[in-house]
Amino acid sequence: MSDASIPTGEAAGRGNDPLATLWRAKQLIREAQAAIDEASHSVVAQRTSAEIPVSELRLAQSENEKAELTTRLAQVEHQVGRLMTLYVATYQLHATLDPLDVQTTIADITVNMLGAEQFALLLRDEEEKTYEIRLQEGEMPPPWTKSARYTGGDPLIDASLADGMLRFGPTEDSPVLVAVPLRVQDVTVGALVILKLFEHKGRLEEDDRDLLDLLGAHAASALFASRVYSRAARKLRTLEGLIKLVKKG
Amino acid sequence: MKNRKVLVVEDSRLIHKMYEVMLRPCAIVAAHDGREGLAKLAENTDVDVIILDINMPHMSGLEFLAEVKGNQVVASIPVIIVSTEGKETDVQRGLAAGAIAYLKKPFQREELLKIISRIETTPTST
Repeated sequence: MSDASIPTGEAAGRGNDPLATLWRAKQLIREAQAAIDEASHSVVAQRTSAEIPVSELRLAQSENEKAELTTRLAQVEHQVGRLMTLYVATYQLHATLDPLDVQTTIADITVNMLGAEQFALLLRDEEEKTYEIRLQEGEMPPPWTKSARYTGGDPLIDASLADGMLRFGPTEDSPVLVAVPLRVQDVTVGALVILKLFEHKGRLEEDDRDLLDLLGAHAASALFASRVYSRAARKLRTLEGLIKLVKKG
Repeated sequence: MKNRKVLVVEDSRLIHKMYEVMLRPCAIVAAHDGREGLAKLAENTDVDVIILDINMPHMSGLEFLAEVKGNQVVASIPVIIVSTEGKETDVQRGLAAGAIAYLKKPFQREELLKIISRIETTPTST
């Protein structure tokens, strides 16, 4: 049926022609459908335009979180590495009761973990009241090369030996990069003196401070314990020798 | 990190301990100089990576490396040099000798792990 045969609204309203009413109803349904479609498109458009910024925001937040977690992971990894270094240094210092092995470990830590090229280990000689230079590494400048003892003279080292405080240089009157006092039960028994680092090491970092503190406490006690043990072992051997002699006699 | 077998050729006991801790759960084969390193390598041709020091008694790291690269059975094993010798000429010499990476001591654990994971992701030639 063509549209020409559709009764007008007026005609439809005038009489009770069911066909006209039907057509009118159909027209109204079409209009309503068109209105619904339009409204629906509008709502979808509104929702999409509202949701895109939200999604973008969430994506940006996720990316930020990821970046933050990556940074934190790197920091944690770095901390783990640092703690491993400290653990290994402590472990190895106390892994032996041979004074020479302890000295080797101190040298190993100073070279391999701190990156020192020139350094010396001073230990107090109770009888002489001076400091014996127990270890020297690298081509040391004078006066280190000339003597087996340190009798004082470098203000930075002398101050560290006097008050047991870690000191960093160099200063106007001292070429020393760092003087690490070695302390056993609050008594300074020596010092680790670093004069030069490897070129590629550049400078001491914040992390190195922990290792220097560790050396100050553990190197001294490990050295002290190993020296006491070796003295006791020597005395024991002497006594055993004497007992054997007495038994033979 | 994967469960790899690592040959460490290094004269310092301290550094051996450090690798043992840092590279867990890898299996570590320890040698204290180049000569011992070659002997250990002959017994363990299945090692995945070699970590090598330069300054060692009896046989230096570079001498060890020359021997490894001259032996077809083990020549393809990646070698990482870790040394206090940090001049550019030292690095170039090490890389020219066949090392895949050169790390200067003192080093950070992350740097070593990064190199090893790079090896893990690089397909090995057979």
